[in-house]
Amino acid sequence: MGHLVTSVAPLPLQGGGLGRFIDPFVQFLTDITNLEPVLLQLLAFGLLLGGVYALTALGLTMIFGVMDVINFAHGVFLVVGMYSVWLVSEMAGISPFLGIPIAAAVLFVLGVVVHVLTVEPIIEAPQQNQLIATLGVLFIIQSAIEIVFTPDPQQVELSLGSIQVGGVFIPLGQFYALVIALGTMLAVRAFLNRTDLGRKIRGTADNRDGARYVGINVRRINYLTFGIGAALAGVAGGSIALFQRFDPFTGETYLINAFVIVILGGLGSFPGAFVGGLIVGMIQVFGGYYLPGTTAQVLIFLLFIGTLLVKPEGLFGGAEA
Amino acid sequence: MSAIETVRDRYRTFDDQRYAPLVKGVGLFGLLAALPTIIEIDVAGMELAALLSLKVLILTVIYAYTAQAWNIMSGYTGQFSFGHAAFFGIGAYATQALVVDAAVNPWIGMLVGGVLAGAYGLIIGALSFRFKLQGHYFALATLAFAELLRFVVTNMSELRGANGYFKAFPRDYGAEYGLVAFQFQNDLPYYYLIVGFLLVVTLVSWLIKNSWVGLYFFAIREDERAAASVGVPSFRYKLIGVAVSAFFTALGGAYWSMYFNTIRPDTVFALFKNVELLLPAVVGGPGTLLGPIVGSFIVTPVSEIARTTFSDINGLDRIIYGAFLVAIVIYSPRGVVSWPSQARALWERVRGDEEVSE
Repeated sequence: MGHLVTSVAPLPLQGGGLGRFIDPFVQFLTDITNLEPVLLQLLAFGLLLGGVYALTALGLTMIFGVMDVINFAHGVFLVVGMYSVWLVSEMAGISPFLGIPIAAAVLFVLGVVVHVLTVEPIIEAPQQNQLIATLGVLFIIQSAIEIVFTPDPQQVELSLGSIQVGGVFIPLGQFYALVIALGTMLAVRAFLNRTDLGRKIRGTADNRDGARYVGINVRRINYLTFGIGAALAGVAGGSIALFQRFDPFTGETYLINAFVIVILGGLGSFPGAFVGGLIVGMIQVFGGYYLPGTTAQVLIFLLFIGTLLVKPEGLFGGAEA
Repeated sequence: MSAIETVRDRYRTFDDQRYAPLVKGVGLFGLLAALPTIIEIDVAGMELAALLSLKVLILTVIYAYTAQAWNIMSGYTGQFSFGHAAFFGIGAYATQALVVDAAVNPWIGMLVGGVLAGAYGLIIGALSFRFKLQGHYFALATLAFAELLRFVVTNMSELRGANGYFKAFPRDYGAEYGLVAFQFQNDLPYYYLIVGFLLVVTLVSWLIKNSWVGLYFFAIREDERAAASVGVPSFRYKLIGVAVSAFFTALGGAYWSMYFNTIRPDTVFALFKNVELLLPAVVGGPGTLLGPIVGSFIVTPVSEIARTTFSDINGLDRIIYGAFLVAIVIYSPRGVVSWPSQARALWERVRGDEEVSE
């Protein structure tokens, strides 16, 4: 299982001393007081990355919120979305943008199948069993992708270029991904608040037994929720494929960050997922610029632990799904 | 009375004796000690060693050991930890850093690692329990503490960053191959050593289970508020569980670092190391003494045999492994060790039906 970890790059090793902890922050503050233009650029990158991160967390927060299941296969669902978009655009020659709804459809079906086969039989079992079952699903799907498409990185052939807005450089691929992310979040929110099915899902999230008493078919809600959560992963994966190379193991980093975002924002909360995504995106972009190596990830985990301890219900905890 | 019932009654009489656990333990560990010989026995031109090498046996017992250590905390007190790679990695890193950088004997490094891991466990436990984290939140918090260490170590040049450590030769720390050096020139002594480790942690688990400490642990697992209301100091006992479990897990990491040649943050602190360490306990039956051992003898060989059998198609082994994980939690949620009692219940139900029909 060692080769599951792929994305940790070798690091430039720096000298010791306390300076390495303090200097980056001094540098950061100096840049703020000097109003360095680089800050605006970093802010733009943070926003772009954060929006997509938020989207990767939506499906996870929905399944977690409604069914109380930690879905470890969520990261590999993202990867299936990436490969769907890539397949559609490479093989069928359809625009990758049209590939994203196709990815959502594929993932919806896959999500329902996975749910019926693995999660539903043990929905009442101790939660570590669900965790191991979804982990098994992760291994199966990831390795299937590896066998069919080789472990080599793939890329959607798409040169969207970039634009300059007031001296800030914006890559269009990421910009479209952000637009898709925002659009999807608004659409899902409207679906949950305004449609009958959406209300039933929220009701089930609030109180499973209560939902059963008022005649909601909780089994049906479960597999629909799992399907929709997976479909959201398809949209997220498809959007990421617009601007990034990927391989069968790309999902792991996104999975961990998605967990952080879900907890930061509050379980089942969509505005929370958005804010959580922005926080993680900003820390990664600013940390990547000012801090050595992957130290930014240390900050993210410290923040994660802090949130779990002080406010486990998240920044937007208690809000509706 | 049928023959089966006679055997069963004899077994029950034996089971009630005070020496029964001792006999069972000696039998189990005698079997483990004999395994390297058993796998080489030639049966009709086939030997088990073709499938089950000594290396696989060592890996199997390592994971039986770590799962047994995990069980003390998560199986007994019910606090599901998903971050035991933190303790495992601390043990491995403390040992290697002291051996390679300071030429300290690995046995000392191992104990230092155990104490450090215990301390880290106490920090995790004190924070999480003070803030009353439970269920998924506790599992995610432990995972975060483990991932935190992975990135901290990756970014620390003092601990050689992402490159990790390469095991030193015994002469580099003034020892010769053998038990004192914690290094051997072939695999067999390594096997007996880890069986010894497993024996110790199993003994400790048995002692805990059969003492009032274990009673408190199980009370906390079943209903923490009820336990607290009758005066079980649940906070303190959960901390004891974490610290003991972390200590022993770190010794497993130390062993790992002395058996394999290299350790890196990506291997000993890996995200999926958290799973590998606990999986045998869940498969075998969490909270039981035998579960982690039986579980590891099911999970680890399946993974290793699948890897060697399907080596020409990269990834097929993990599909089989994944399907196996799904199947085992669906069809045996209480673990493999519950199979005999389930079979007995089934048999008695069938027999009961027969009696009714008569």
